[in-house]
Amino acid sequence: MFCSPFAPSGFGASIANSKILSIDALSVVGAKHFAQFSEMLRPYDYFLLTIARGRGTLPAMNTARDFLLHAQNADGGWGYRVGAMSFVEPTAAALIALQNEKTFALSGVEERARDFLIAHHHADGGWGIAPLDAESGWMTAWAVLALARAANASAAITRGAQWLLATEGLRLTDPGARATTRQIYQIDSTLRGWPWQPGDAAWVHPTALAMLALIAAGQREHTRVREGAHYLFDRAVATGGWNIGNPWMIGKAIPATIHDTAIALRALHAVGVAANEPRLATALEFLRDAATRAHTASELAWAMWGLGDWSVEIGDLRARLNALQNEDGSWQGNPFTTAIALASNNS
Amino acid sequence: MRDQIRNQKSKIENKISRRAFLRLALLAAIGAVGAYIFKSTEPVGLGKMLRWLWRGQTARWFAPKSRVALAACESYDANILAALRRAWRDARAPDLNNARIVLKPNLVDFIAGYPTFTHPRVTQAMIHLARELGARDIIVADGPAFRRDARAILDATGYTEMLAREKIAFVDLNYDDLVAVPLVGGYTRLKSLFIARTIADADVFVSMPKLKTHHWTQMSASVKNLFGIVPGIKYGWPKNTLHTTGIPVFLTELVESLPTRACAAVDGIVGLEGDGPIFGSAVPSGVLAVGTDLLAVDATCARLIGLDPARMDYLDFASWVGVGAIVESKIELVGDALAQFARAYERPPRPE
Repeated sequence: MFCSPFAPSGFGASIANSKILSIDALSVVGAKHFAQFSEMLRPYDYFLLTIARGRGTLPAMNTARDFLLHAQNADGGWGYRVGAMSFVEPTAAALIALQNEKTFALSGVEERARDFLIAHHHADGGWGIAPLDAESGWMTAWAVLALARAANASAAITRGAQWLLATEGLRLTDPGARATTRQIYQIDSTLRGWPWQPGDAAWVHPTALAMLALIAAGQREHTRVREGAHYLFDRAVATGGWNIGNPWMIGKAIPATIHDTAIALRALHAVGVAANEPRLATALEFLRDAATRAHTASELAWAMWGLGDWSVEIGDLRARLNALQNEDGSWQGNPFTTAIALASNNS
Repeated sequence: MRDQIRNQKSKIENKISRRAFLRLALLAAIGAVGAYIFKSTEPVGLGKMLRWLWRGQTARWFAPKSRVALAACESYDANILAALRRAWRDARAPDLNNARIVLKPNLVDFIAGYPTFTHPRVTQAMIHLARELGARDIIVADGPAFRRDARAILDATGYTEMLAREKIAFVDLNYDDLVAVPLVGGYTRLKSLFIARTIADADVFVSMPKLKTHHWTQMSASVKNLFGIVPGIKYGWPKNTLHTTGIPVFLTELVESLPTRACAAVDGIVGLEGDGPIFGSAVPSGVLAVGTDLLAVDATCARLIGLDPARMDYLDFASWVGVGAIVESKIELVGDALAQFARAYERPPRPE
């Protein structure tokens, strides 16, 4: 009998039972090496093996939730590994993923996560990346996004949104520098997006995340959000999708990535851009295609998270993602990746 | 009339004699030079500038020579371990007995067809050498600059398979626990920098870059490879803060403030020339370079690929402030002769 190192001791007994039952079938191929083995399989095999493991979406998600519950640190936050220091990003992502779980008594977990975020809210309205970081930055958007659905956090959300609205990426004002930037990167450097840290240039990931946070905070019609959408379209890779924010570099097109494309697609969906917008259509096509070739849990989870809001066929993506789930219910043993996988399965 | 003119002249002469005038002019010149120096050193302060100058000059005149070892290794199918072992010994690289060591290859990204990364066989040879030398813990780590998921890069580059075979853990430095390291040089506006705990806790840190051309720094070797230890979760992808801070000064700061004893083992077996660091072409150089002074290793690598270290901003600045050696007279080259591998790499395209 497989026994997870994160087997619940005090609560969630019914969840634990379903988890153990679902993993019984796994022993035939060797539970210990299953996750590693399954990474080498072709997509069709993923589907068959997922069935063979007796892991439909629901039991898999139960174990993921279970993993997250037990990976929560004593301070209420989550790290990028079990037992690692708490960061705002995995904490916010876990809170979002668990907020979707309505069938389980999560109030204590949610409260502790919310309290972690509020305890580390800076006086300027933003959040650093972790308690040891005194400088507010891009993870402010994660905190606002997560708190937007939590109870008793409206003041923090308002201040966080104000911080986001007051923060913008470095913009070039000199016409000569703008022209050079246009030539090297083929981008419009006058558009305001959001930086990773104040004082830096804007990039795709923090821009999309800030847009999502502001929309969650009720600022969907704000000019910054609209400009954020323009920024994203300006940074789109010609062949579809997004990378970090450099579609072009000194004569070479830089390829798009799954993570950046996924978050940009979520942001544009939240803004209300129609799927038939040509650049969106090519981005969706890119992500679907890239997902068929992706094989890591992080890539698959993000691809599914990005596509989840759009009415597009995702094929066996969900089955392939679930087939990569570890014995302890996690993906890659990483609370953050697990939270994204859980959220994407629910989206 | 003539008397009147004479009187006027005499009055002027009485007011400012020639000697007084010269004194005044001298004082004005000294003041102007002082103002110019003050103005041009204003961003950092004259005192700090003089300190750097003093330290740089002291290092140039009195510091012992830095040792860099070159070892021939013609391909990735050759005996890399033997070449690396020889270079490690020749360079008098750190004692690894009972040490916790972190090997940091360059895994900046994977784009099919471009040799952007340190070959896994070189890293594997270093793992074997570290075991031979009695290392207690061996960790391979990097924080890729363009993608959030290092695992995809590890898979594509062959590292996943190699690390599994060697039973070595990989730490993604973009997501590691962090420690704040004070920046001792004061070359940037940053007072401290977050770096991965894995690096801070190591006894020896081995920078294992791919020898490459680079469109911003001309070359990417053991110093530029340090960008990978800076966590993406704080500084983003592609760690833009470090670029906006100024690449030469920031790299100097990184080398100087590294909390762990460092050395370099450069993969120059097949280098990358032209449009580096990503879109360049493979070029065989057949060499491994090892040393404990990262600047001396990079200066030697620059000479290997036909660049003048004194004309490379980061090497020039770091050497000027005395962080390492780049001039030939201060580098003791050991092992195989540099001329044997020297080959001018095609330069990267420069933005107009």
